[in-house]
Amino acid sequence: MCNKKISLNGLTRVPFIDPQRAAHGILIDAAAPALPACDQRTVPGVMSQRSCAYYGARWFLAPMKQVIHLVHGPVSCAFYGETVRKKRYTVFSTDLTEKEVIFGGEAKLLQNLLEIGERFPDGAILVYVTCAPGFTGDDVDRACRNAEHAMGIRCLPVNCPGFLGHHQSTGHEIGAGVLLEHFVGRDEEAVSGPYDINILGEYDVMGDFKVIKRLLGRMGVNVVTAITADASVDNLARAHRVQLNVMHCRRTGGLMAEEMQRRYGIPHVKVSFFGVAQTSAALRQIGARLNLQEAAERVITEEESTMAADLERYRRELSGKRVGLFFGGSRIGSMQNCYRELGMEVLVAGSQFGGKEDYRDAWSTMRTGTALVDDTNEEEVLRFIRQYRPDVIAGGMREKFIANKFGVPFTVFPQESGPYAGYSGFRNFVRDILVALKAPVWQIVRGESETLA
Amino acid sequence: MSANHQPISIDGIAYNQLKIEKKPITPEYVRRDPELVPKANRTVVVNPARTCMPFGAMFAGLGMHRGLPFVQGAQGCTTYVRYTFCRIFQEPASIANASFHEDAAVFGGRKNFIEGMRNLIVRYHPDVVTVVTTCSSEIIGDDMVSFIKAARKRLITELGEEDGSRPKLVLVNTPSFAGSHIVGYDRASRAFLETLAQDHSKPNNRINIIPGMVMPGDVREIKHLLREMGVDAYTLFDISDVFDTPLMPPQTLPYYPEGGTRITEVEDMGNSMATFALCQNEGGLGARYLEQKFEIPAFIGPMPMGVRSTDLFLKRVSEVTGKEISKSLKDERGRLLDFMADTLHHTMMKRVAIFGDPDIATGITRFACELGMEPVAVMSGTKTKTFTADIEGIVAESGAKPLILNGSDLFEFEESLKAMPVPVDVIIGNSKGADIAKELQVPLVRAGLFVYDRVGYHKRPVIGYRGGERLLADLVNAIMDFSYPEERTQQL
Repeated sequence: MCNKKISLNGLTRVPFIDPQRAAHGILIDAAAPALPACDQRTVPGVMSQRSCAYYGARWFLAPMKQVIHLVHGPVSCAFYGETVRKKRYTVFSTDLTEKEVIFGGEAKLLQNLLEIGERFPDGAILVYVTCAPGFTGDDVDRACRNAEHAMGIRCLPVNCPGFLGHHQSTGHEIGAGVLLEHFVGRDEEAVSGPYDINILGEYDVMGDFKVIKRLLGRMGVNVVTAITADASVDNLARAHRVQLNVMHCRRTGGLMAEEMQRRYGIPHVKVSFFGVAQTSAALRQIGARLNLQEAAERVITEEESTMAADLERYRRELSGKRVGLFFGGSRIGSMQNCYRELGMEVLVAGSQFGGKEDYRDAWSTMRTGTALVDDTNEEEVLRFIRQYRPDVIAGGMREKFIANKFGVPFTVFPQESGPYAGYSGFRNFVRDILVALKAPVWQIVRGESETLA
Repeated sequence: MSANHQPISIDGIAYNQLKIEKKPITPEYVRRDPELVPKANRTVVVNPARTCMPFGAMFAGLGMHRGLPFVQGAQGCTTYVRYTFCRIFQEPASIANASFHEDAAVFGGRKNFIEGMRNLIVRYHPDVVTVVTTCSSEIIGDDMVSFIKAARKRLITELGEEDGSRPKLVLVNTPSFAGSHIVGYDRASRAFLETLAQDHSKPNNRINIIPGMVMPGDVREIKHLLREMGVDAYTLFDISDVFDTPLMPPQTLPYYPEGGTRITEVEDMGNSMATFALCQNEGGLGARYLEQKFEIPAFIGPMPMGVRSTDLFLKRVSEVTGKEISKSLKDERGRLLDFMADTLHHTMMKRVAIFGDPDIATGITRFACELGMEPVAVMSGTKTKTFTADIEGIVAESGAKPLILNGSDLFEFEESLKAMPVPVDVIIGNSKGADIAKELQVPLVRAGLFVYDRVGYHKRPVIGYRGGERLLADLVNAIMDFSYPEERTQQL
């Protein structure tokens, strides 16, 4: 095995990318702006990290409260959809069998809806349409209409069969469409406070949203809803009466932000609550929009003063460490800033389903010679490990265990230990990197492979 | 290392965040309409306890040496399963996918399959590829047999005769709407034997083991039992060194775990003396196939859990092979019996609720009865023809009358337990029962396939005498953790 670190100078193309997908990876060259090919079909037969539209819709809508989630399809889609971001939710399934696949599942769906309406009444029923009924062509709309008519509870199809689109982001958009169409702005009489905002594209991973809400609360900002961390039928109905939409994840929140601006004239702003500098910038931006500059500065000064000494220490520990990032969507840009704030060197930023704007964002923060890659697959991650010998990798859980097998520490996103957002979350973020990097097991492993090899 | 010793404050992970938003059992708690609780009275499934057929086929496919499953379906069909494997075993699970998009839905998956198979084999050089179909490909009617032929042709043109025809392709038809993961594994066991095992002319004095969807620790335990007896065996889908592998970098690319059943072994299974399918519903199909085709006696179930089932398994093996049950195994049996005698006051007459896949649920029920526990509810997530009769047969001796749920969901299980006038003492099942146990405030002893909220369970067996010791220890400790008097330390 080649033990030499690859030199970043003199490369002309991303060295670990599959030749068949060469256009999907670029080396940043400040003089010649370029973007990787994105939003294209996945190469079949490679171990892509992407998932299906149903996965995306479930990821987006799972935390939605006051609704029943009914998965129309074979029972397994519901089985997997129970756990989203490592949290368990109650799901209902129509449990399609051979009979319904052959003769149609509409009648069973209708009966399911009526049963739910009668026995588990709630604000609304979301019906996720999976591959099987997508192929057999069940008229889900009609079943929903009939059920709604019969029992007076809204039944709303989420049309997300797995084969739609090229990746799970299709599902995010479908989910956002359902919220916009059926939930947002239904309460005509809602009144708006001067400091009311929504947060779009925030999912409360391990309490992220609670940290953000507390920070904003100290500034005097009131969060009406966070979509979908905190979304419910009630607060979405009032979500159109706010002063500002704060977009945390562009890939999942962007569509809603634009549509709400078009419909209700709500301005939106893209921020990131990851990292000290970015959190401060976010508070400043929100403060400026809501005329709360002083309050924002007060919170920032308070928090930053307690962070300064720690930041210094974190930098001492981590500066110069080399990291490879493989994220889902649009966090590649903002998360890089976090690593750079710690003085770490980002070798590659990869995204499963990033869009053009996400890559443009990321591009502007990256240094010449580093790689920006779309839809990285397992083989490429392993080649990256061999060629670049990173100190640590951040990415999804499926790559964690294989990276570990190659002796590389790994930090998992979405995180498992605690909130990463805000100032206090940044400590957790750093702690997780340190935990992964400094674990004695790596020293033992390395020592052994040197002596035994 | 200094950073490790400096305290870094952790903010925001309050333990109470882990609480589930559900109604607790309080006087105000309104019982659900009892009419809707039984699964038979409704069509909707709430919190299913079984998953899809491709899952079982992928599990089997990963149990082959240098084996990769290839899923002919949408990307989620692979992603969800890979996540599940990662969460259970904390090991990589490499599974390829045909990446169905709209075009495949309209024009069929032929192009995706041929291109995908070529891409997979060129990059990974597998020995065997398990072709797993899904709801999508089955409904649109992909003709997989002809696709496989076309893919082979393409491989031979591109890689040459030798390299192109070397990787075996085994087709397992697994439409998810026709059965659960149990059936997927069952079908895979038959498909592999049908495709690969041909010879029946050179007796090899071995036996075949089809372990079913058990943990690496269980497979190791079975191997241990046979080794002690001096019996040579082949294990079909040997996941022991696939889902529990050592950390020993540097590794070569492409990465494969060292374990797994080799193709030559499956080919030779037609020459064996007998086939033991440890789980009736997971692998029974394969064992029966060998019996019909080559007249190899098939011993299907029961899962060797607890004393009597393990006795039966060893007795049968001994009869088939003519090898004695060794002193060391008799000692193991004695140690388990001793342990049972030492702990009987903790287990006797305890009310236990059991759920899981049909075979493990039956196995646990059998062991629980041996421990003098009283099964009050037994649930299998997958409906099978024999489950109800099996459980009735097991409990007949003890006189217990458990509620038997054959192919139900966790909602019915939970509500039935809540409705019981005398509460249960302990639940045995997989991680899906964590919320139920928390709400009922009883211990959950984890066993079965989907244990993903605790570590190490895949490393330890529940099979065999030693597995029984482990399960018994877990059980007694869990019960004691919940019943410890707070004010004093209890000595045993």
